Amino acid sequence: MSKGVFLIARNNGYIDYVKQAVFLAKRIKRHLGVSVSIATDSVDYLKDTYGTADFDKIIQLEWTDGTNLRYFFDGSLFKKTASFKNSNRASVYDMSPYDETLLMDTDYIISNDLLKSCFDSKSDLMLYKRSDDIAKVREEDEFKTISNTSVDFYWATVVFFRKNKTNEVFFNLISHIEKEWNHYRRVYQINSSLFRNDFAFSIAVHIMNGFQPGDFVQELPGSMMYTIDKDLLWQLKDDNMMFLVEKKDYLGEYTAIQTSGQSIHVMNKTSLSRIIDEEFAND
Amino acid sequence: MTKGIVVLAQNNENDDYVEQACLLAMSLKTHNTTPISLITNDNVPDEYISLFDKIIPIPFGDNANKSEWKVENRWKLYYASPYNETIVMDTDMLVLQNIDTWWDFLSNYEMYFTSNVLNYKGKLADTSYYRKTFIANNLPNLFAGFHYFKKCEFAQEFYHWLELVVNNWETFYEQHLEGSSRPKHVSIDVCVAIVAKILDCEPAITNKISKFPSFTHMKPYCQGWNEVQTSWQDQVGVYISKDANLKIGNYAQTGILHYTEKDFIEKSPALERYRNLTNV
Repeated sequence: MSKGVFLIARNNGYIDYVKQAVFLAKRIKRHLGVSVSIATDSVDYLKDTYGTADFDKIIQLEWTDGTNLRYFFDGSLFKKTASFKNSNRASVYDMSPYDETLLMDTDYIISNDLLKSCFDSKSDLMLYKRSDDIAKVREEDEFKTISNTSVDFYWATVVFFRKNKTNEVFFNLISHIEKEWNHYRRVYQINSSLFRNDFAFSIAVHIMNGFQPGDFVQELPGSMMYTIDKDLLWQLKDDNMMFLVEKKDYLGEYTAIQTSGQSIHVMNKTSLSRIIDEEFAND
Repeated sequence: MTKGIVVLAQNNENDDYVEQACLLAMSLKTHNTTPISLITNDNVPDEYISLFDKIIPIPFGDNANKSEWKVENRWKLYYASPYNETIVMDTDMLVLQNIDTWWDFLSNYEMYFTSNVLNYKGKLADTSYYRKTFIANNLPNLFAGFHYFKKCEFAQEFYHWLELVVNNWETFYEQHLEGSSRPKHVSIDVCVAIVAKILDCEPAITNKISKFPSFTHMKPYCQGWNEVQTSWQDQVGVYISKDANLKIGNYAQTGILHYTEKDFIEKSPALERYRNLTNV
């Protein structure tokens, strides 16, 4: 059984997802010891700027202008509007060269080997449902259900799957939900028209469970630790990170929080980018 | 040993509880062969009479002729039931599946009240918003909306106490409930809990671990929502397929649904669907 991590990087002119993928691939090799493949619409940029040594296979995606626009915050006092190219994530099922794939967002910083156990797990499909804001003082309800009255929230940030008939149906269903997003978002009481993979995965899990709570999907080990884009990633040294976390109800004021050996989903992609630049400069 | 379901229906000026009981009977017949009897003094439309095993007048006169919620007659169900084993249900409920195995579970008890109710997502419902009296007075969290009894000495004693408490509810409330937490009206759930406390029989009449038998309680604050409106029907959609598979908020519903809102029958196609299915 072949196994590896699969990353998708589609640049939008503001965030360099390819750079994040290169940075993450190095950490994956160090902590998980498995091959990494990438699908990107910027293959030439990858080759010219970072080289291809960190990747097992490189898959060319067609360049498209993103139609989803959203704010990218860099702390609570700065934001920029840019496109958010999150479409076709479900096609990873066909694109992945591995029998056992860990799909990961490029803004997930691996700092331990916890996810290695997925490849030995009996579960063929695993996602994160449990999650923790590193600040622990803010409302986390938006990550409990996909809307006030709707289904449980599952993160599409990290997904483990084995190729089999059932998972093929699952990923095809996600593609269908994406294609018919305006229908599904209404049926599932989501007010925003912005397509989110987390929502599509959550809806697909609900449907595969027969529209009831169920065990179609298992939980990944640990929980999804995250910082929101109002926080700043301030320092990274090996597996230790320092974040400036926005104080609750104090706009633009921060508390320093240090983590050690903790994998974290860093939603402030701009501050992540600065840290990666420092890391690459030191290398 | 005869087994059956019993419902008490008394219409008031605004609400047609008999119609609710008829819908409940139709939903029961869709999935079960268990007989259902209706206890009522009100008229049952001709087309619905065949839904019921027996239609029984309320015994011992009507104690609720001046009341809106008509709970004053609930203690009579023990005496009115024609069955050796009885499940009592509220009229504003639907049976969405076969419940034969529930009878097997219930037969282990002389009386059984559910103490865990579910929300529409199939999760244990947080009922604390509506159960302040129970919490303040450490009463057993029993729900009389779905309960079971065998004709036996213990159940008869329980119901005898229930008669006393319901008929003298103000006195019993004063004795058993802390002042500020006393409801201003007679509540059958509170009266049942007081009886369970008096008889000290909670472990014998409920099972806090078991998720079933139970029902889905659609009161809005049970649903785990952050923002709650007056009517649950304003917050989530209801879909009923032609073969009466019911989804609420896109969650498939099973077990027993306690829809609680009287206009559910008008707002949803439930009556039409079940009439078609049961040829009524």
